[in-house]
Amino acid sequence: MYAFEFERPRTLDEAVAALADDDAQALAGGQTLIPTLRQRLAMPGKLVSLTAIDALRGLSASGGVLTIGAATTHAEVAQQTDYPALAKLAGGIGDPHVRNRGTIGGSIANNDPSACYPAGVLGSGATVVTNRREIAADDYFTGLFETALDEGEIITAVNFPIPDKAAYAKFDQPASRFALVGVFVSKGKDGVRVAVTGASEGGVFRWAEAEAALASDFSAGALEGLSVDPEGMIGDIHGGPDYRAHLIGVMTRRAVAAAG
Amino acid sequence: MSVGKPLAHDSGPLHVTGAARYVDDIPVPAGTLHVAFGLSHEARGTIAAMDLSEVRSTPGVVAVLTANDLDRPVDVSPSAHDEPLLSTGEVHYHGQPIFLVIATSHRIARAAARRARVEITPRPAVLTIDDALEAGTYFEGGPVVWTRGDIKSALEAAPRIVEGQIEIGGQEHFYLEGQVALALPQDDGGMAIAASTQHPTEIQHKVADALGLPMSAVRVETRRMGGGFGGKESQGNALAVAAAIAAARTGRPCKMRYDRDDDMVITGKRHDFRIRYRAGVDEDGKLIGVEFEQFVRAGWSLDLTPPVADRAMLHADNAYFIPNMRIVSLRLRTNTASATAFRGFGGPQGVLGIERVMDHIAHELGMDPLKLRLANLYAKSGKDETHYGQPVKGFELADIIGSLAESSDYHKRRAAVAAFNAENDVLKKGIALTPVKFGISFTLTHLNQAGALVHVYQDGSIHLNHGGTEMGQGLNQKVAQVAAEGFGVGLGRVRITATDTGKVPNTSATAASSGSDLNGMAVKAACDEIRGRMVRFLAETHGLKPKSILFKDGKVHLGNQRLRFVEAVQECYMGRVSLSATGFYKTPEITWDRVAGKGHPFYYFANGAAVTEVVIDRLTGEYRILRADILHDVGTSLNPAIDIGQIEGGYVQGAGWLTTEELVWDDKGRLRTHAPSTYKIPACSDRPAQFHVALWGRKNHVPTIYRSKAVGEPPLMLGISAFLALSDAVAACGEVYPALDAPATPERVMMAAKRVAG
Repeated sequence: MYAFEFERPRTLDEAVAALADDDAQALAGGQTLIPTLRQRLAMPGKLVSLTAIDALRGLSASGGVLTIGAATTHAEVAQQTDYPALAKLAGGIGDPHVRNRGTIGGSIANNDPSACYPAGVLGSGATVVTNRREIAADDYFTGLFETALDEGEIITAVNFPIPDKAAYAKFDQPASRFALVGVFVSKGKDGVRVAVTGASEGGVFRWAEAEAALASDFSAGALEGLSVDPEGMIGDIHGGPDYRAHLIGVMTRRAVAAAG
Repeated sequence: MSVGKPLAHDSGPLHVTGAARYVDDIPVPAGTLHVAFGLSHEARGTIAAMDLSEVRSTPGVVAVLTANDLDRPVDVSPSAHDEPLLSTGEVHYHGQPIFLVIATSHRIARAAARRARVEITPRPAVLTIDDALEAGTYFEGGPVVWTRGDIKSALEAAPRIVEGQIEIGGQEHFYLEGQVALALPQDDGGMAIAASTQHPTEIQHKVADALGLPMSAVRVETRRMGGGFGGKESQGNALAVAAAIAAARTGRPCKMRYDRDDDMVITGKRHDFRIRYRAGVDEDGKLIGVEFEQFVRAGWSLDLTPPVADRAMLHADNAYFIPNMRIVSLRLRTNTASATAFRGFGGPQGVLGIERVMDHIAHELGMDPLKLRLANLYAKSGKDETHYGQPVKGFELADIIGSLAESSDYHKRRAAVAAFNAENDVLKKGIALTPVKFGISFTLTHLNQAGALVHVYQDGSIHLNHGGTEMGQGLNQKVAQVAAEGFGVGLGRVRITATDTGKVPNTSATAASSGSDLNGMAVKAACDEIRGRMVRFLAETHGLKPKSILFKDGKVHLGNQRLRFVEAVQECYMGRVSLSATGFYKTPEITWDRVAGKGHPFYYFANGAAVTEVVIDRLTGEYRILRADILHDVGTSLNPAIDIGQIEGGYVQGAGWLTTEELVWDDKGRLRTHAPSTYKIPACSDRPAQFHVALWGRKNHVPTIYRSKAVGEPPLMLGISAFLALSDAVAACGEVYPALDAPATPERVMMAAKRVAG
């Protein structure tokens, strides 16, 4: 780890000011950033912790929308009961240590292609709220480790419209518990969404053919015969593109079956 | 009686409270320095230029050494003198040490090492078995071939031929305590070393050689290791030698330990194998002949490959009588870390080869695999000689398997598995019973010797030392039980002390499962010697016949009189009786001609059998081990609690090897799985949900220490039943034989299920 300054502001304005420096970097739960720093893969001059800002914490549900503060931990999300499929997703991330430190804002700001939350956010059609604007999930995830966030822009909350039916089915990479393939499906007033994480070289994506098939018949059977092209799927030490493409079909059917 | 009691590990309370002291926990003297290696970033090539100026100028760096800076060629290999401590210009694998940094802290040493600019002109690296076959890079001048009978005619005459191939992955040792050594320079020019090693004598030898000292000037001490598994038989040499050289240069204590990633990259692992087989059987499943080709990926140096590959050949029969046999073993040199000893030492790969053959034949003949195995087991009347000419004596596997099949309800469960599979499309169950017969002794005959040193102090306390090392396996406790038994006293009187080359010289590695067999006997010999002297003296002074003097229940029985042990000791001390003795043991009856592949290499065989039931998800390939039942032969157990622990651990480690533990090298020869985040060892939650382990309990037919049997390695091969249960479950997905490769990761299981379903 290289040396850096550290600030822990109490308000969003202070955080924005602290992040104005060119080489400042926001720090949420640190479950990705700290290991990155320890391996000297990044050299920020200053870390700005976002975990002491009350406005970024907590959950509330009203009008069919669950709002989760950006600095809310996975463990806290796992305990809420307004959106059970999302609770299950959060409860299956990593291990207790990761769940007690990692935050939803940190996860989606990082947009790791094997993280669970991007599937939950995209698969729910959620809205990412920042200190400057609101960004629809479809516009938010722009590529591998890439998002629509601008420099200095801070996620404050994520608004999840609570669907009628939803479920997340994940195939764990057994050593790290990251998603080798994870599929989040939902059926709500705006239709069916199928979001896939862990599999694509482009990061989280919606499986359009599956969504179309499920729109008229929300059942695992409706997916018979559908498959994903292995082209563009990740091939790495944990599994090949063919295997991942195959698992997308299996996990989608299982998510639909679990959503009921 | 101390022997035979299920006593807890002597260091158990220290292990669980964290008080147990490992080498890195030893308080070091002020001014201790730390050593780190700079590693090669190429798998093969020639060092073109090396700029270490930034390494040297890093604050805290005391010295930086390359091979050119050493006073003499320094070798760290266990035998072949083909492993220079630091590269002498050629680079043979990614991660090979090129230079070493001596600094004021571990962190500084490591960080500084990364500031080197080393230019290596790469050459095409030989990475895989296929690469090596193409390049013709053989060790030992080419294939080693052993034959029995007339394999050609046997296979021509056989009504059925079953042939195939299995890829068997390697395995990282993943000892919890990494490699570490501490060197303390002595005022007389000597060196004292504390090392995490299974082989203190070899460390002593290598350090003495590196420093140009006689062995008598180097003392090595090992109190305990946090796991060894064979990974600390030869792989600790480099650290101890590097620390000793640094200490000799600077005159200050020097310590070296690898961080986990470096440990996994630098040190050798279990040999990965490819085994090709061609078996001839009759219609009843009787083996007529089997031909094996064993392709062994040895890595860049010889290390222990010859005896490992030999042991794979020696176990190519496992428990079966095979009248005609031909085994070809190719020891292939590759540009990867040099594969080394790992629990089982080649035996597991050999056993898996023949168990795969049995599984394949049973599938082809539509026979129950257990029936097939029983039909081919070694038996009396001409079916009791191995392919290397050793008679199989005291062979109880037929009884063990029969008993296990009954206690585990094998036949009923096999039917239940079939019924389950008929009703379920996605989940499929599988069950398999596999035996193990494992030869006990070092195949290098001269290694089968051990020494011990026992002192009885005048207060009646007993100081125990022997040549074996404690790596968590419970050797010290077992040996202490032997000592307590020898004097008829409680274990509380016996003090277990660190293995020390200054107390017991010329020891063999604690390996080949031989720790208790060899050291237990040596300790017994030492205790017998002291007790004999005491008996002779007491008989004379008390006017008794020696035979009437007994050591029992903490007392010495002198006819009608009883002395407390300490009183008897004091009488002997006052009578000027020496109460210190060495003990020595060498295994009898063993001979071996490794070139011909004939002889009697093993004193006896350890046996066992396991039944494993699994369930797979044929669509994802995920699986669970539902239940494992084990019946294992440890002769008359010295300590049933420790033996059962070894059996449980061995099974889990064996199952891990063949299921989740996958080593991946990329096309540049870089090990990509060098941390627990990418390399999955079994965790507590991965053990079978139902796990029944029982000891067979009959005494060893040869006079080993209290008629016990070695237990370190044999149970690892019980994990093969988990692999073949997975194969059985995959087979339920269709008609074709699954031909699973190992490790059977979910991806391989899924792909095999898909292939089988057609």
